[in-house]
Amino acid sequence: MTRSSHDINRRTLMFGAAAVSIASVAAPAFASVPESGGKKVVVIILRGAMDGLSLLPKIDDPNIHEHRASLVDAKAVPLSDGFALHSALPNLAAMYQAKEAAFVTAVAGPYRERSHFEAQDLLECGSAHGVMNDGWLNRALQKAPAAYSAVSIGPVQPLIVRGRAEITSWSPPMLPEASDDTLARLMDLYQKDEVLKTSLTEALGADKVAGKSDPGAMMGMGGGRGGPGQYVPLLQAAGKFLSQPNGPEIAVVSLDGWDTHTAQNQNLQQRFTQLDLAIKTLKTTMGETWNKTALFAVSEFGRTVRVNGGQGTDHGTASTIVLAGGAIKGGRMFGDWPTLKPAALFENRDLAPANDARSVFKGVLREQLGWAPSDLDGAIFPDSASARAMPNLV
Amino acid sequence: MSLVQGAIAANRFGMGAKPGEIDAAASDPRGWLKAQIKPDAALVSGDGLKTTEQAFQDERDAQRMIVGQLGRPNARPQGNTRPQASPAAQSSDMQTANDQAGVQTGAQAGGQAGKGAQLRTPQQQARQMAQRQARDELNGEIDARTKHALETSDSFSERWARFWSNHFTVAAKNRQLIGLAGPYEREAIRPHVYRSFGELLGSASFHPAMLIYLDANKNFGPSTDAAKARKVGLNENLAREILELHTMGVGSGYTQADVTEFARALTGWTVGGPQTMRLLAGGGLGQGRAFRQGGFGAGQGQAFRASLQQADAYLGKAVFVDALHEPGARTIVGKTYKAEGKLQAAAVLDDLARSRATAKHISTKLARHFVSDTPPDNAVKKLEAVYMKSGGDLSAMARACIDLDEAWGETALKFKSPDELLISVGRSAGQDAAFGRDARTVYASLAQQPFGAQAPVGWPDDGASWSGADAVMKRLQWANSVSQRIMVSGSPNDFLNRALGPTASEATRTAVSRAETAQQGFTLALMSPEFQRR
Repeated sequence: MTRSSHDINRRTLMFGAAAVSIASVAAPAFASVPESGGKKVVVIILRGAMDGLSLLPKIDDPNIHEHRASLVDAKAVPLSDGFALHSALPNLAAMYQAKEAAFVTAVAGPYRERSHFEAQDLLECGSAHGVMNDGWLNRALQKAPAAYSAVSIGPVQPLIVRGRAEITSWSPPMLPEASDDTLARLMDLYQKDEVLKTSLTEALGADKVAGKSDPGAMMGMGGGRGGPGQYVPLLQAAGKFLSQPNGPEIAVVSLDGWDTHTAQNQNLQQRFTQLDLAIKTLKTTMGETWNKTALFAVSEFGRTVRVNGGQGTDHGTASTIVLAGGAIKGGRMFGDWPTLKPAALFENRDLAPANDARSVFKGVLREQLGWAPSDLDGAIFPDSASARAMPNLV
Repeated sequence: MSLVQGAIAANRFGMGAKPGEIDAAASDPRGWLKAQIKPDAALVSGDGLKTTEQAFQDERDAQRMIVGQLGRPNARPQGNTRPQASPAAQSSDMQTANDQAGVQTGAQAGGQAGKGAQLRTPQQQARQMAQRQARDELNGEIDARTKHALETSDSFSERWARFWSNHFTVAAKNRQLIGLAGPYEREAIRPHVYRSFGELLGSASFHPAMLIYLDANKNFGPSTDAAKARKVGLNENLAREILELHTMGVGSGYTQADVTEFARALTGWTVGGPQTMRLLAGGGLGQGRAFRQGGFGAGQGQAFRASLQQADAYLGKAVFVDALHEPGARTIVGKTYKAEGKLQAAAVLDDLARSRATAKHISTKLARHFVSDTPPDNAVKKLEAVYMKSGGDLSAMARACIDLDEAWGETALKFKSPDELLISVGRSAGQDAAFGRDARTVYASLAQQPFGAQAPVGWPDDGASWSGADAVMKRLQWANSVSQRIMVSGSPNDFLNRALGPTASEATRTAVSRAETAQQGFTLALMSPEFQRR
């Protein structure tokens, strides 16, 4: 193979070799001067509709057992305000006690239908009606108060990061690498191909930063598909990107598999464990940078309050947003609670959407990284002035 | 005679030019494609592969063996009984197979939480053997499907079949579906892709794999005695996805109430097996679980065993169980369907297949597949008209796609999905070059494992989903490994000519011919803008 002792510097060499070729590309992904004061935002998208009522049951709501007795975790850890956290997330529970985690309850985007794919598209493009071709995070970068950058972790480019601003992406390598000379020639060949040129340029920068994941650590955590540590390498990479000098301000990660139509308790036991380990890994990898980090984990919608025919739940409306990181004003519950009284349920089946997810996104973006309210209400989240930024999250 | 049009026929409409195909197609490219529209052109031989019913029977036999040999479900090994093979070795084999297959198997992974841990009971070993076997079978399905795509002379039909297989996605997302996803595609999709859309819709919707994948077997008429006794009810999953993904399309006018009503109409449709028979015999669902775990409880005598024998006749078949069907008329998308048992859902499917919204949804997806990610309205409208006029005849739709002038532009606009890229390289340079020793690893490394779509919507059909920085880097790493093992006659430029004909750009030809080594030339040819698109 072509791997050799100059491995560490080979990408740097490559950039030297190809300097003429890539001169026309916009600013390299990681050249920004840190103007954020080292503050970071992590977006975790939980795809498939995470059951917020299982994650964080309101155990003192008099109706919860009537609706879904078999889905309430008996070992859930009481936190505050009558809410308890599912017992598969001990690390998150500890963060809540240490005031570096919080939750937004009964929260949903403006979408009121129940299609996963449409809901995810709307969640990611930030529009109340009508899917747009670019994501809100991409538009946010175009309006950023300083030269912020973002990294998307994973093999597929999600809508939230698509658009005019350049966003780099990365996922763990599995195959041998091409030589620097081949890369330089390929870069030449891509001069007239914006799509491939942009992607390859970003990939080369990203590869240099993420380095190699640690297989030993992955195995110890039960890495591999389906295992509790399935997402550990992704979050390790996110942590490395964010905590390097001049690293990006924002990272996006997607965790799949939340569509629990059947056998929900078993499925969620596994998913929650993965989510808990993922957040813990991020914290560990980021070191001191964690103290200035605000993370939110959000799903496209919630699930029905009542149990369905297969000990699962069907597509619903409001769910729960997880907030974590040293910058979060943690140990608190945010948002109104609509109750689980039958009359209070949305369309007599779902937890009612008492809080707007966009308010949470705006609150974090504004207070953590200083976006202008007018941009948040307009270009970034169109026609969203009624969803006011949620205060005091960070 | 146009070599450019020949290359477009073989690469954009076919799965990639085999040596000589561009020349063969050049004199009459559209005729060359239409000649591939034959009822059996997309069939994959089932030799050495299981049918759906066999998959169910083998699963039953495996369970019975565990039960028969070992009695109670959680029996521990007696005395000095030790596993024959080294459990640790087995465990790591499984891990390898699991990683290579790259399909999520929650139950399995749960069992492996402690890597290298001893397998405590013979049951666990037997279960692991069964899991391993299911995975081998899935690999067999992937190999057969790959081989067919690489070898067929009717590769337009293969593209056509894969389009419909993706439209009606069933993913191998758990242990049961690992054994069913392959048979489903061979049985419910491939034989029907040139019949009417309505027939294809019916064969896909009522195949056991789809019924399980979208939880129709957990969808019970709430007012039936069986449902009341077990406190179970509707599961909307299949109804919703048929409306949203398979027929009318999201935002086309149906409501939540339509979804729920359609779910009620679908109640009763399930998969034959012990659980279903027990429901019929007046038992509950919980006993199905007990059966699977081998627990023949006390008090279940002759009648119970007789019902199990009866169950054998229906094992692995889609069945309609009246006792689980919600009685009454249903109103769906403005039309009332009278109570007529299993015909009720079929009547709904019939109307959905005829609906104008469905025609538009299908036509848009086809135009996106053959023209561009943002197909012109005109192209969609032409397909829609053919759909409505022909009653959704899929042969007519295939010919209409071939006849779309919009799809014959000289610039390749469609960025190949990993699957398309791999098959096209395999067709031009051979299976070994494209896949090396292990096709599954290659599929997984490019993030498109056959039968591994993450959601019922299937794989994306747009360039933006596949051309991100990381994806391009993975393609480059793969291309680099291909160029190390490629064994074709001639130079990289000859390869470029055979694969792309005159559609390779001057810049690509120059870069390839100036390459430092043949290996580098192949890497550049495979990664060239023209080869990455179709």
